[in-house]
Amino acid sequence: MKLSRLTTERLAAVVCDALERHGFTAVLTGGACVMIYAEGKYVSRDLDFVLAPQDRLDEVETVLAELGFRAAGRVYVHPEVDMAVDVGNRWPVAVGQEILKPPPRRSVAGYHLRMLSATDCVKDRLAAFYYWDDRQAFGQAVLVCLAQRVNMREVGRWSRAEGQASGFAEFRREFNRRRRTARGSA
Amino acid sequence: MLEPLFGSAARERVLLCLLTRPESYPREMAVTFGYSLGTVQGVLAGLEDGGVVYSRMRGRTRLYSLNPRYPFRRELQALLRRALMALPAEERERFYVPRLRPRKPGKPLVR
Repeated sequence: MKLSRLTTERLAAVVCDALERHGFTAVLTGGACVMIYAEGKYVSRDLDFVLAPQDRLDEVETVLAELGFRAAGRVYVHPEVDMAVDVGNRWPVAVGQEILKPPPRRSVAGYHLRMLSATDCVKDRLAAFYYWDDRQAFGQAVLVCLAQRVNMREVGRWSRAEGQASGFAEFRREFNRRRRTARGSA
Repeated sequence: MLEPLFGSAARERVLLCLLTRPESYPREMAVTFGYSLGTVQGVLAGLEDGGVVYSRMRGRTRLYSLNPRYPFRRELQALLRRALMALPAEERERFYVPRLRPRKPGKPLVR
């Protein structure tokens, strides 16, 4: 299998599947989820996985070596792939103060992939905006909402629980503005 | 107090320090508590790797804060607050931020 020819989603599934076959629970988070959900309108260079159990992280190198990845500092790189695998994020999978159950696995071209749902992906990006003032993450959250069915009521509930009602209001305004623009140009 | 949980007195002090001020930098913490810069940087690197703290550059200084995205942040802050209040008052004072409000250059500081 030529990894360089795979889409981001299939590459993530191949890596996730390999990790899960070796007994890890691996959840794709971060910018790669945005890249998949925003259907290419955003480009990430990392496949960020949250892994359990954490006390076996030293085995990851062996698992990824079977796919051709080698350790390079904090991440794993592949000579033919322009995305690095990062397993440095600590368990549990969480968005802000809310701890998530591991999402179910779904099949992508025969490989198992666990990744944040589109709604949790939006929360994850908004957490970066709310707490780190990350405007790029704000834009990513909008892109996901424009491309996917996102439970906005749930995002609002979570935002208020995080004490971020005004940040959510700003996000809704921007999302509505971008949606009107998109509809107008369609 | 929390040293048995956190593994070192330096880690406890760094976390208590970040509880009492919105941000701090390694040299400030090292000077406050009499640790070497390397010790504080090592503690902060471990905490940042675990997502407990985060850092950002301001000018040439790397500033650290408790990570508001750390999923156990509220529980950690509650634990640290209890530990801080259990300290003798003079010991507790060391954790609070020195005077940082604006002051014109050359104007003497009256404490």
